[in-house]
Amino acid sequence: MKKSLLLFLVLFAVVLCFPLVAGKFALHLMMEILIMAIFVMSLGLIMGYAGMVSLGHAAFFGVGAYFVALLGHHIGNLFLVLALGTAIAGLLAWISGGLFIRSAGGYFLMITLSFGQMLYAVAYKLKNVTGGDEGMPVQAAPDLGWKLATMTELYYVIGIGFLAWFLFLILFSNSPAGKAVKGVMVNESRMRALGYNSIAYKLIAYTLAGGMAGFAGVLYAYFNQYVSPDLLNWLFSGQAMIMVIIGGVGTLIGPAIGAGFFVLLQNYISSYTERWPIIMGLIFIAIVMYGKGGIVHLVLQLTSKLRFKLWDGSAVNRAEQRRTSP
Amino acid sequence: MNASLLAAQLLNGLAYGMLLFMIAAGLSIIYGFMNIVNLAHGTFFMLAAYAAYSLAGMKVNFWLAIPVAIVLIMIFSIAVEKLLLSFVYGKEHEQVLLTFGLLIIFADMVKWIWGASPRSLPIPPSLDFSITMGILDFPVYRLFVIAVGILVAVALWYFENRTRIGAIIRAGVDDRQMVSALGIHVGIVFTGVFAFGAGLAALSGILGGAILGVYPGMDTETLILSLVVIVIGGLGTWKGAFSGALLVGLLETMGQIWFPSLSMVLIFLCMTVILLVKPTGLFGKKVST
Repeated sequence: MKKSLLLFLVLFAVVLCFPLVAGKFALHLMMEILIMAIFVMSLGLIMGYAGMVSLGHAAFFGVGAYFVALLGHHIGNLFLVLALGTAIAGLLAWISGGLFIRSAGGYFLMITLSFGQMLYAVAYKLKNVTGGDEGMPVQAAPDLGWKLATMTELYYVIGIGFLAWFLFLILFSNSPAGKAVKGVMVNESRMRALGYNSIAYKLIAYTLAGGMAGFAGVLYAYFNQYVSPDLLNWLFSGQAMIMVIIGGVGTLIGPAIGAGFFVLLQNYISSYTERWPIIMGLIFIAIVMYGKGGIVHLVLQLTSKLRFKLWDGSAVNRAEQRRTSP
Repeated sequence: MNASLLAAQLLNGLAYGMLLFMIAAGLSIIYGFMNIVNLAHGTFFMLAAYAAYSLAGMKVNFWLAIPVAIVLIMIFSIAVEKLLLSFVYGKEHEQVLLTFGLLIIFADMVKWIWGASPRSLPIPPSLDFSITMGILDFPVYRLFVIAVGILVAVALWYFENRTRIGAIIRAGVDDRQMVSALGIHVGIVFTGVFAFGAGLAALSGILGGAILGVYPGMDTETLILSLVVIVIGGLGTWKGAFSGALLVGLLETMGQIWFPSLSMVLIFLCMTVILLVKPTGLFGKKVST
């Protein structure tokens, strides 16, 4: 926990100081990365801490975004919209999770996928409400009591949102509930034997993750000023899952790093070639085959090797010998 | 709605159900035996349809094009299994990421090679007529697809219950470790099962191209519907895939008439109700993980 809090302080400084050094393009990119990071961290929560692999997580993100596009301008205040968007997405996650969480593994994946596709189909087909496949512009302007005029102000809203969720995840994963969730993933039957209601703990994690994804969706609608059904599509869920995995499953910062890596890579490659999906796909496959479980794990492995070399290796060897000798 | 339109839609629904059955059967066996949700399964379907389109463009006879396209897709699937998938067995995240990566790559590659606009595959001339019964018109190609679907179902039943390989696969769905403990080389069976499933998807793609059209995006569309089919029908048996596919095929085509904007909602609600009543699907067994 100490290390995570230290990491939080570093992130805090980086996020707050970024606009002082960055140009307009970089700031725009950073906003996208931070929004995606919130979304991907929420998926990382259920994948890494509860062992639920979902391919319908974009549904909650999309619900948050469409909420702003459909009703945001009637509500006005940004905090209220954020709170309501988060609550609605969380409620949806709670209901759908309650129905599906009993199904494990691949089955859960298939069910969440089709749940997301159902919402996608609704947004796609209800042309007179959602604008169909063309999407709809967002009329709501971010309003914190005063109208946000500059991009930097919206950046700070997003940045503080990201930091708040990151801090929340640190606290949650170290709380008794968070530890119980992790315990359920590692050994569900033992946790049940210990008297934990494993389904309830999974549902807590799923609801939190849904709400968090909705929060990211609300911010995205303000940031992008335009929503389309693609935000609900399972391909977007799949991208988020890729970001979790390339960042490192089961770590707090991994999904955020994965999001940054993905957005930067996509921006870079798509500026060179129209065929960027092929190159991205090849990179993902290479990461699966040689990536050792994501960037964070790779870095940890390298630094521990390095530390081993720098530090007195012989002491470790002696300890190793003691442990293995009969 | 009059009777002839209803009959035509019913026939369309059955034909579509059979196409879904052929895809879902392979997907179901692959998941049941290898414990892989193969997100690239719709890709096999799409590639086969495009292969049939190109073969038709080269004036290859339809009856020759079927085996050629199937063999091509099966070779491709064996390469995928041997070179990529076999390294990530037992790792759920990696499998999902790998098959998802393949899906993205080939979806884009198809746009690159054949362009983004939809193509149409002609119905083979030998089947391009209708049988008229009173006021009802039955297009023969639809009937042919239904017949092939039933034939595949019968073949799968025979294969599953009456052959040695079928017994191995049934045993593997129940308890994979025990099968390998009995001295059966699971690796070869894995490759065989994967290629067999891909071959079925390819058959569906070739036959379906003439009904559904050939277009980018057909891979994910069919993949999602066949996943729903498996969830509804239950895993690891052809019975589940067959009943689920008929149900989804009919719901999809009928839903398009009555609630064109909400057919997916209808299918999803149906899936939810079935899951609540029977969490393993209509005919599902508990699959070993």
